[in-house]
This record gives sequence, C-alpha cells and structure tokens, in this order.
Amino acid sequence: MPMKIENGPFWKRVEENLQNDFMREAVAGMQDRGYVRRLGVIEELGHWEEWRSLAEQIRKHTLENLDYYLMQLSENVAKRGGHVFFAQTAEEANDYIRRVALEKQAKKIVKSKSMVTEEINLNPVLEAIGCQVVETDLGEYILQIDDHDPPSHIVGPALHKNKEQIRDVFQRKLGYTKSSDPVELARHAREMLRRDYLTADIGITGCNFAIAESGSITLVTNEGNADLVTALPKTQITVMGMERIVPTFEEMEVLVSMLTRSAVGQKLTSYITVLTGPRDEGDADGPEEFHLVIVDNGRSSILGTEFQPILQCIRCAACVNVCPVYRHIGGHSYGSIYSGPIGAVLSPLLGGYDDYKELPYASSLCAACTEACPVKIPLHELLIKHRQIIVEREGKAPVAEKLAMKAFRLGTASSPLYRFGTKFAPSAFAPFVEDGRITKGPGPLKAWTESREFPAPSKERFRDWFRDRQKGGNPL
Amino acid sequence: MTRGTIQNRDAFLQTIAQRLGRNPRLSDVSRPQWGYQPQWTVFDGYSQDDLLKVLQKQCELIHTDYIETTSAELAGALRRQVAAYGGGPVIVPDDPRFAEYGLSALLRDEWPAEQTTVHIWNPALGRQNIDAAEQANVGIAFSDITLAESGTVVLFSRNEQGRAIHFLPKTYIAIVPKSTVVPRMTQAAAVIHEQIEKGELVPSCINFITGPSNSADIEMNLVVGVHGPMKAAYIVVTDR
Amino acid sequence: MKVSLFVTCLIDLFYTNAGKATVELLERLGCEVDFPEAQTCCGQPAYNSGYVKEAKEAMKQMMRAFAHADYVVTPSGSCAAMVKEYPHLFHGDPEWEEEAKRLAAKTYELTQFLVDVLKVEDVGASLHGRATYHTSCHMTRLLGVKEAPLCLLKNVKGLELVPLPNAHQCCGFGGTFSVKMGPISEQMVDEKIGHIEEVDADYLIGADCGCLMNIGGRIERLGKPIRVMHIAEVLNQRK
Repeated sequence: MPMKIENGPFWKRVEENLQNDFMREAVAGMQDRGYVRRLGVIEELGHWEEWRSLAEQIRKHTLENLDYYLMQLSENVAKRGGHVFFAQTAEEANDYIRRVALEKQAKKIVKSKSMVTEEINLNPVLEAIGCQVVETDLGEYILQIDDHDPPSHIVGPALHKNKEQIRDVFQRKLGYTKSSDPVELARHAREMLRRDYLTADIGITGCNFAIAESGSITLVTNEGNADLVTALPKTQITVMGMERIVPTFEEMEVLVSMLTRSAVGQKLTSYITVLTGPRDEGDADGPEEFHLVIVDNGRSSILGTEFQPILQCIRCAACVNVCPVYRHIGGHSYGSIYSGPIGAVLSPLLGGYDDYKELPYASSLCAACTEACPVKIPLHELLIKHRQIIVEREGKAPVAEKLAMKAFRLGTASSPLYRFGTKFAPSAFAPFVEDGRITKGPGPLKAWTESREFPAPSKERFRDWFRDRQKGGNPL
Repeated sequence: MTRGTIQNRDAFLQTIAQRLGRNPRLSDVSRPQWGYQPQWTVFDGYSQDDLLKVLQKQCELIHTDYIETTSAELAGALRRQVAAYGGGPVIVPDDPRFAEYGLSALLRDEWPAEQTTVHIWNPALGRQNIDAAEQANVGIAFSDITLAESGTVVLFSRNEQGRAIHFLPKTYIAIVPKSTVVPRMTQAAAVIHEQIEKGELVPSCINFITGPSNSADIEMNLVVGVHGPMKAAYIVVTDR
Repeated sequence: MKVSLFVTCLIDLFYTNAGKATVELLERLGCEVDFPEAQTCCGQPAYNSGYVKEAKEAMKQMMRAFAHADYVVTPSGSCAAMVKEYPHLFHGDPEWEEEAKRLAAKTYELTQFLVDVLKVEDVGASLHGRATYHTSCHMTRLLGVKEAPLCLLKNVKGLELVPLPNAHQCCGFGGTFSVKMGPISEQMVDEKIGHIEEVDADYLIGADCGCLMNIGGRIERLGKPIRVMHIAEVLNQRK
C-alpha cells in the first residue's frame, strides 16, 4: 500500500477512530506499559542524555556527508559482489525490483517488515507480474491476509486489531480452526510461513542501518523472520531509505542500542543481523545474488531545509508511543502509514500539504515526542514550522484564524492598544456570562464551550488592581 | 569475487550535494571524534565473573535457560539440555571447537548410537543442509563473542557454519566459553571495526542472537517462539 | 530584591486572583514587586499557530516592557518557556538578538524563582485537604522545572499531596489545539480528570493557567466537586 491510506477526510477518520474502543484501549495499554519499560531500560543504561547527544551527532554528521557515505557504501557492496541501484523515485525503485523478479522468473517472494516498501507501494507492482508476495512479520502478515488492512503503528502494525478479529481472519482466509489464544495463532502463522520461506524465490527486506565502511546492512527483529527471508531464497533485495546509513559498525552499535530500547524497551531485540553482500563463496545458504535499492522518493528535497532533522529518524516510534493525540485517535486517523508525531512531520513532507494539512495541527505541542526522541529530533518545533508554512506560504489557514491573529498583532504589539482592547472585554463578553462563566461562547469560543466552560473576564483586570493598590486603594 | 553493478549513482549523489548547497563530497571525509562516548562506561572495570553474573540475570529476562559447567562436564551438560528439549535430530556447524571441548565422541558416536541423528553442516552437501536444519529439533553452536548486558551470542557465518543452524531448528543451544564474554555490543562492534580497518573481509552474515524468537504483535501478548527457535539455552563453560 | 512581574494575559484578564496571590507572596518574601504596564503577551498563541511575524511583534513589545527589569518573574511555566525561546527566534537579528538573550536570562517561572533564586522551600502557607498537582508540559519539558513546585507544595501545612497517575500526559489544552481539535482535546482532558478523580483529590493544583482553564472548564461542565487552584494561590493561603 502507498504512504497515503485512502480512508476519507481527516475528521471522518478521527470520528471513526474515537468510536473504536478496542483500538483506544489497546493503544493506551501499549503506551502505559511501554512508558514504564522504556524509562526502566533507559535508567538502567545510565547517561541517557549523553547517549542522545552522541546519537544526534552521529545522525547529523552522516546526513551532512550523505553523498560521501552512500558512495562508500555502494563501492563496498559492489566489491562484495552485490548490485546497487539508486532510485530517485518510487517508480524507479519498483521498476528495478520488477525487472529483477522477472529475470529470476520469481513466483513467490517473502518479505520482512519494511516501511519504505510500503511507502513506494511495491507489493502491487510485483503482484501485477504474477508473483505471490508474502509478508512474514507476524503483524504485517495478519494485515496482509485481512485484505491489506493498513498498518496503524510503524513498529506494531496490527496494534489496532484484537485477537478475536485475528482469529476470524485466520478462519476465513487460512482455514484456521483453533482458538484466539495468541500462542496458537502465532504457531499457526509459523507453520504457514515456514513453507513460504522454504519455497520462495526472492527475499525482500528493509534496512535499519546500512554500514558504509563494509557495505553491510543491519536488520533488527524479534521474530527472526528477516533471517529466514535472507538465509533461504536465492535472491535477496534490500530496499533502504537513503538516510538509513551510518559510517561504521561502531555507530551502528550505538544506534541499535538506542533503537531497541526506545522502540520496545529491550536491551537488544532477539535478532540483530548484519549482512554483507551475497553468500560467501562456498557457503551453503544465504542468497546467491544481492541487490541493494537506495530510495530517495522526496527525501533529498528535505535536505538543506529546516526540516532536515527529520531525516535523523531511526523509526523507533518512541514519539508515537508517548503521543497523547495518537493515544486517542490511533494510527489510521493520520491517513498515512507514518503516524504519530513522526508521521505528522514526515507525511506532509513526502506527500504534500493537500493531503496532510491537518496533521501538523493534530498535536497539543506538549513536546512529549521531542523528549522521547533518541536522536533529538525537535518534533514539536517542526510541527510549528509546518504551521508557519501553511499560514505563510500555502495560504491554507482559515480566514477567521487570520483575522484573529491580525487582532492579536494589533493588540499585543503595543501596550495602549492592548489596554484599550482588553478594558472592554468584560462588557463585550457580558451577554454570554452566567454565574461567572460562559457556557455557550460566541465565534471562536464556540468550539471551546462545546465541552468546557469558559471563564468570564474579571470585572477588574489585574493591571487595574495593581495600579489602584499602588495608589493606596487596595492594601494587603 | 565478481564486482557487482552500481546504477544511477552520479545523478543521485549530485542531487544530494546540490540540496546540501555544496559540491559533491565523494572522498576524504573522516569520522569526527564524537563528543560523548557513554557506551564505553557500561560495566567498566567488571571482571569476567562479574560479567557472568550480569549475563545470568539477563537470561531470565530473555526467556533463556542459563547453565554453567566446566569443559570436563560439558558433554554431560549438553546431553542433558538436548534431552530436556526433547532430543534430536541435532544440527551443528563443522567447528573444530567441538573437538577441542571434548564433544567429538558425543556427536560422532554416542548420539548416533542412541538413534539421535546428528547433522554436521557440510557445504559440499548444499541444500541438504537446509533440509536437515528444518528437520532438526536442536541447533547447537559456539558463541564467538558473548554480550553480558543483553544476553547476546554473536556468531560469524562461514562455509562450515551456515545461517540456518540458528533459525530453522525448533530449539537452540549456544555454548558460551567464559572468555568470550564482553560487557556489551560496543566491544563486539569495535573488534569487527578493527578487522575492517586492517582490510579483512567481514563474514557475509553476523548474527547477534538474544534468546529465542518472539513477537508481541497480537494484542501485545508476548509469544515466545515465532519464526525462529521456540526455546533457547546458553551453556557457559567457566574454565575456557 | 526588585522583581518585575510578567503576569501573562490570561491572568491579567481572567485569573486575576492568581496574579494578586503572586504579588502578595513575593512581597511577603521580601521582594519589591513592580508591574511594567507596557507588557502584553509573550506571543505564544500566535507563534504556536504558525504566525511567527505576528508573534514577534508581541515579543518585541515584551522586550521593550522589561528592558530595565533585574528579574522577570511569571506565574506560568509555559509563558516562561516561550520567553526562553526568544534568543533562538531572534537569532541573527542585529536589533533584537542581544535584548532577547538578556530577557531570557533574567526570566523565571514563579516556583523556580522561589526555590532557585530566593532559596525558599517553605513559604509558610497552609491549606487543608487532599491535593494533586498537574505538571504542565511546557514547564517540565521545555523549561525543565520539575521539582520546584512539588518541593514548595510538600511544605504547605495541612495539604496532603498525592501523585497524579499518568502525570506526564498532556491535559489537552495546547492553546489553539483545544478549539481546532476540540473532540480530541476533550478526550484528553476527560482522561486527565479521570486520573484526578482516581486519587480522590479535593484540589487540582497547577502552575499554568492555560491547563487550569482547560481542566477547570471541563470539571465545571461535568459538575465535579474538585477545586482548581493556581499554585500561587495555594502558596498564598494561610488558614
């Protein structure tokens, strides 16, 4: 599926998801347990702020020298007999992968979890030439067999589904006959997927971190699916966003340590695998052929702008897991495979403001995301930058807001106007005040008073009280 | 080794340089001295014994059986653990350490005599190795480097040690010589980085394995044993 | 010690009692309080909505108003955090950069000023009842003030302070967020109130009038028997 999820306009999505009690409970539970776990491992590790500064330095240095490191990476992949394809667009990437699949006469393709292949919408391209494409990450697998239900979280894609729903899908699509016990469900998926690994012609993976010094790619999973996807089929294709690269093993190590802690509160996940080129001469397993597809797809237009820090992202979803807005509206409300704060920043950059103009406002700017980010992306500041662009460049701000801000400027930029304007606030609000509060506000206050009382302005402003008091009118 | 192909690179890198507002930078960039190095302070000054305690405690968190033994007792400990996991078939790499640690008799004589099938990875047999791994109940391998903090065994693939040994069998046993235990991934990464600096080739596959396979994709319930092994044990050899 | 009060627009117009309490409290602790009349608003409503030009005009007015102050104290963590951002926003502006740095350096949130500058942890206040404290996001995350308010509240006689579950979570105010994303904001504030009820608090105390207006407005609408107080009012209580 492409980055955009076709599920209606923003408010329709939000209203629907606010009604989804199971999803909301699941997300809240995930967030609450995850919060404790993440803080626990961070505290155990110690010096977390130093780790964050180190990670930030690594990511910034790599982005500032991205052409150099991609050069080094591609040279080293080629030296080890791998093929590298640089794709500026999703189409170029898909075309290349399709050509490889045709050349290999591939019938079955197994995939491990990859956000970038979702972003470029790879699967339909391969299915159109008759390949069966099987997602092997358990969450992705569940979504795939449920008629391509979109992912709602970048790490736990099937977070929004409950086990009964999953059992029903398994019954309908896989002839499953057992219970909704997660262990039984997972065992069934294990058996089904085993056959697929063993018979697949091509394995496709994403890439957590490419290592420039050796031409390696690093894959991080708990299930071990990426290992089977890369150990068994004869051809391996790895697709990476162009920014997912580090200089050496030493930086990979630092970022993996932070990724696993930030994503799932683990010191390391069960399987961290570093693959270099195809199998070595004389090996009995591993791919005979290795292709690395490096994807731009709009990323380079972020470089050199105020949004460059978003490319520091290591896709841990810590920002998603602490976001109070995501907590209530869930991933599908974002209308993008990238949800939560990272999605609210990234989706408009990759997909444009026409589709994603609401997302920068779907944040109370509480900065929980910025605080949680292991690579120090100032997420809430980037949301404000989006708002600024929407106001100044895109001209997409509502008229009433523009008027209000014009009034704000007049009223706050000079003190006489402020004093004059605010002096009459009590009488202006008077018709709406009842018992010292406003229950049905006019104009912009209406949205507030839909769910809350609004305070009536004080009859005497603080500044008037203070002035009188200094004149001796209001002793302590 | 035949060199692979590289396509569309120049224009791609040119675009990046342009966006960064400078000329392409294709050589002579050096890693800066990072301002912070907290990774080296973890378990700084810990003895091998201290690290073993860390490892043992971590094994509880990663659902991994932890067994300590000596090289003299290793064969017995391994035999017991394989039995505890339901016996054979067993698959192992063709690793000289099995002989060095006194396990040849077990692998080549005792288990086969008890009808416990033992497959020793043999690159000449090609795909048959994968079939054997798929049918195996237990995969056994020696840890090359062991990370105390996370409870991780590091395994370098080679002709005689295929990747599938660690993933296809139902259960997995890693033999951990005490001398291989280091504080954390930092030390392992540094070793590999040094080898690369010296011009050595990294193995085509390096696995950092931390306990059995698991997933929390269904209602965030932890299921141990998804695509890879469902159980895992580390047998630590304290005198090696 | 001479202190210039930045009272914030919300307190000037709506929550005057919090402003009065701030003055009385500071004076009792030996400060000479002045109120520069030229002050308006820190600029945050416009800034956070993307109207940076409009916000900067308000910010310049703030810098003019407090140019001669030694210390600027404000009973709002959020507004203090905004002022701390001025140097960043006026970076490279030859006319305002230095003034922005000066104002940021001398601006303190009220509890931060009491604990860090005046070195007072017990202000001699007393209030009877069970209370919980809402840690506002900007005060804790952007300004970095976490301990000071709790430290002061712990020393209020008669006050039983209970921790608020999920205290780290935003109440759903977020300035214009509360009206632009009303239905989402409502869910957030309801969850917050649920947690306040969970600990059976008589008082909900906060150091930011934006959050208090949101939580308090919802509490009033729902008719819950919880009293919402600004921390300055609590610290100025003597019963």
